[in-house]
Amino acid sequence: MANEGEARAGVYKDTLLAGLWRENPVFRLLLGMCPTLAVTAAVKPALTMGCCVIFVLVCSNVIVSLMRHLLKPHLRILMFTLTIATFVTIADLILRAYVPVMSETLGPYVPLIIVNCIIICRAEACASKNGVVVSIIDAVGMGVGFTGTLCVLAGIREVLATGKIFEVAVMPGSFLPWAAMGMPVGAFVTLGLMLGLVNLTSKARR
Amino acid sequence: MGKLKHFIEQSWLLIVSSFVFGLLLAATNYALEPTIRQNRIDKLNRLAKGLLPDAVHFREVVERIELTSSRGKTSDIAVYKGEGDGEKCVGWSFTVSGSGFADRIDLVVAVDAKFENFAGYDVLMSNETPGFGDRIKDKDYYFWKQFKKGLPVGQLKLVTSGDPEKVDSEIVAISGATISSEAVVRILNDTVGQIKEQMAKKGLISNGK
Repeated sequence: MANEGEARAGVYKDTLLAGLWRENPVFRLLLGMCPTLAVTAAVKPALTMGCCVIFVLVCSNVIVSLMRHLLKPHLRILMFTLTIATFVTIADLILRAYVPVMSETLGPYVPLIIVNCIIICRAEACASKNGVVVSIIDAVGMGVGFTGTLCVLAGIREVLATGKIFEVAVMPGSFLPWAAMGMPVGAFVTLGLMLGLVNLTSKARR
Repeated sequence: MGKLKHFIEQSWLLIVSSFVFGLLLAATNYALEPTIRQNRIDKLNRLAKGLLPDAVHFREVVERIELTSSRGKTSDIAVYKGEGDGEKCVGWSFTVSGSGFADRIDLVVAVDAKFENFAGYDVLMSNETPGFGDRIKDKDYYFWKQFKKGLPVGQLKLVTSGDPEKVDSEIVAISGATISSEAVVRILNDTVGQIKEQMAKKGLISNGK
């Protein structure tokens, strides 16, 4: 009995940690590249996007997990899309009502969460095969992993592009802002360097 | 009968889910719509105040202005009178819409008290391409500044090259975002003239009251 509990706790821990590092959606699976490149010019929009993705991931994983035994194989993608679209619309409405400035900053990228591969990937790979608890833990792990990556990327870009983070100056007065880091080229270069660093770290560990 | 049974067997979950999700969306929209609408009104007032800084407050003109689109559709819009000290009219503000590159564009437009010159425009809602079309709302960019310099109210013409510093009816488009630039000019051309004409007919402009 104790062994069973320990084994279950191990599964939960493994599922949670997978999204944070081993199967990190951005660094490992290279999923969700559109928001990763598009909304990481500053930390605030990146954090808002991450929170929206966590909300949609958790809600869609719960629903998909609950109806996994009822899903017809040929209709499952349609059901996933319907579920995801519903929660993305709810997230969009909540942002427009309570965080209108961020809603405007993120613009079309919030509705575009519907086609974010991370969410449909987790519905297919985890929620449609596991119970509700594992699905929630998987969603939280993946969502936090995605949000963390976005915030790190956005933090580097914001500091180098403006010398500030959360409107607070963090660079010395002599620092000359790198305007390119706030542009799409900054996103591609920073992401590429981060992916290279992650691969080097993994190689060194092996 | 067999076909119907097969159809229901296969798709009942999809039908039920669509209904439930539809209800969930309707309930969320019902709960949040007043807040979203209020946010929009607050933003409209803030933008109009930015365009007409002398205005102390804005008062809705009672007479509704009817606009006819190029496709023949009619719609009513509200015009706001910007009042300075002593209720003196300092300008007019209204919201006009049209289709942009990606989605509908809603503009807040302000004109002077005599409806002769633009006081500028601002973007209330748009989903234009970030970095390109969304420059229509960049106040540091030459495109927006062309409408801010007392440009005379009348038909505007979009050109791809020219001097944006020159105050005339030729509006220099944003490089790489011609469709979005065209949308702004088209929206203004389609609406501002009609509004001016109707306001003049109602006697709202001539005396500036």
